[in-house]
Amino acid sequence: MDQIFHNLIIGFGVALTPINLVYAFVGCLLGTLIGVLPGIGPVATIAMLLPITFNLSPVGALIMLAGIYYGAQYGGSTTAILVNIPGESSSVVTCLDGYQMARQGRAGPALAVAALGSFFAGCVATVIIAVAAPPLAEVALKFGPSEYFSLMVFGLIAATVLAHGSLIKAIAMVVWGLLFGLIGTDVNSGVLRFTFGVPELSDGIGFVIVAMGMFGTAEIVANLEMKEAREIFTSKVKNLWPTKEDFKNSWAAVLRGTALGSCLGILPGGGALLSSFGAYSLEKKISKHPEKFGKGAIEGVAAPESANNAGAQTSFIPMLTLGIPSNAVMALMIGALMIQGIAPGPQVMNEKPELFWGLIASMWVGNLMLVVLNLPLIGMWVKLLTVPYRYLFPSILVFMAIGVYSLSNNAFDVLIMGIFGVLGYICAKLECEPAPMILGFILGPLMEENLRRAMLLSRGDPFVFISPSKPISLGFLVASAILLVVVALPAIRKKREEVFVEEGG
Amino acid sequence: MKIKSQKDFWSGLMFLGSGLFFALWAMAFYQMGTAVRMGPAYFPTMLGFLLTLLGAIVLLQSLTTQPEGDQVVHTPFNIIDLVIAVAIYAILIVLSQKTGLASEWAILGGTIIVALLTVWFRPDAKPIVLVTAATIAYGYLMKPLGLVIATAALVFISAAGGHEFKWKEVIILFIILIVFSVLVFVKGLTLPFPIWPEYFG
Repeated sequence: MDQIFHNLIIGFGVALTPINLVYAFVGCLLGTLIGVLPGIGPVATIAMLLPITFNLSPVGALIMLAGIYYGAQYGGSTTAILVNIPGESSSVVTCLDGYQMARQGRAGPALAVAALGSFFAGCVATVIIAVAAPPLAEVALKFGPSEYFSLMVFGLIAATVLAHGSLIKAIAMVVWGLLFGLIGTDVNSGVLRFTFGVPELSDGIGFVIVAMGMFGTAEIVANLEMKEAREIFTSKVKNLWPTKEDFKNSWAAVLRGTALGSCLGILPGGGALLSSFGAYSLEKKISKHPEKFGKGAIEGVAAPESANNAGAQTSFIPMLTLGIPSNAVMALMIGALMIQGIAPGPQVMNEKPELFWGLIASMWVGNLMLVVLNLPLIGMWVKLLTVPYRYLFPSILVFMAIGVYSLSNNAFDVLIMGIFGVLGYICAKLECEPAPMILGFILGPLMEENLRRAMLLSRGDPFVFISPSKPISLGFLVASAILLVVVALPAIRKKREEVFVEEGG
Repeated sequence: MKIKSQKDFWSGLMFLGSGLFFALWAMAFYQMGTAVRMGPAYFPTMLGFLLTLLGAIVLLQSLTTQPEGDQVVHTPFNIIDLVIAVAIYAILIVLSQKTGLASEWAILGGTIIVALLTVWFRPDAKPIVLVTAATIAYGYLMKPLGLVIATAALVFISAAGGHEFKWKEVIILFIILIVFSVLVFVKGLTLPFPIWPEYFG
């Protein structure tokens, strides 16, 4: 306990320096901005800004990028409540009750509960990371190649299980992503693989480019194809402060949402999106008045908004301790670390304590900033919503194009982004989820490397992964198998489809 | 045989095709090695066949089981359009290699042709094609013509892919974006972009 306290003091020492406060503020501001604006998410934004972070200090870069991710969770609720459009995918369920509250003239309390719930969840999640990360990193330091390989298998399987839609298609997307990740020079033999004589491909495809194409371009096009009528309750945002009864009704939901979100965030494939869905269905299930849900129940706003913020923050745990990304945003964070020349993994905590603890402390600081940014300044964000999309998307494209082009000052990167944009568009039309593919893409080379090492150490014995002398590796593989079997069971499969259909619709 | 789910049919085909491609390409051109010392072909071949298998399962499922929900693929273009677009690029790239012209021009030319064909024959596909074309044009115009013209191409082409296109609005938007780009990215972050075409100094 003393150790944690000591570490947090180091962390706040870093996070509270003026320059890092500025980075946190910029991150939170940008996060809120893209959270409010539908049609651009944290993945595309962080991908866009990655090249720029090269000029910042490692701590500053991470603080800013993290702020974008959890800031977007705050901003997303504003759009969901006032316009009935999720500003972020993780705010989809907030629309259900938040918008109804706004229609009943209670937009203010809905916004306030969402922001305060998120703040509470953010504080709790910060503490959870501080407590849980060091022991996990300790364990991870003992991992050999076979443990890492099995962990990645588990992570990828878990990511597919938690994805929407068909399980087989999600696994296929992962494998496809792994294959795309192998394009470039093979580190062991120096052979150029799948480069087709294109010199630009010899370093592989930057996953920032893939992420921006699959998420950024595809998102913009989806928005352009959709014709929507927006009804904005701008004039009705009065009386921000919730009533006593609102508090009474929502505090338990906030607690439950925070707890559930913190757990689901740590899971591979988890994060903000899954947490908000999970929290909403939990509330509905245990509520004494389930009929009120969808008609303006404040619990239906409080729980998912707390959960998505908690989940967004705890999803940093596997990234920081194991060096394994659990979702696309974390994959980009790893990219940010690598740009700075830091190899992600359990050693980061010991070798760069100021980076690790500074980031954690900044999350708390950032959450405080976000409450200030969101509640008193709500009017400003609402005004933003009246900006038509036809001004927004060319601007977003300009930033994306600059971001990609500046990676290596090469037009070829922009072409690759275009190709993956079309691919992402087609995948969306065929109901193939892009998120598992991005995870596979970043893990492809890592998996091959660890598989090779493990097989070399075991002299080619494929049973090394499930031998009793490697209990951790065995455990991960057994857990993956159980997950697959469980999800394939007809009864559970039906339930899983129901959950996503009911809440996604 | 009747296709029960178009979405699964085409995704199955897509996975099957690319899985086979990766596996066969790896086997043909790279060394397999052994399990102890894996060559560059080992892992991609494994993954390629796994993807082929998964694709085959999805494909079979699309013919046998009827999932709930809309299973029609709603794309504003069909598979033949896609093949034509790829063929246009392929022909131009081969031509550019034969004539010794830089392949950049082939890609730029192909993009312009595909964009024009879309506007004429597939107006519903304007969002995806023009947004993509706009970014590609930006990338390939940057080096020869500089930031201002590249940004203009991006803004005007992509705006043409939206619902409404008003010249006055788009021009104002372009001016704001170019001023911002120059101030923040070129002056502020000192990215090494040429602002104007080279021979203008």
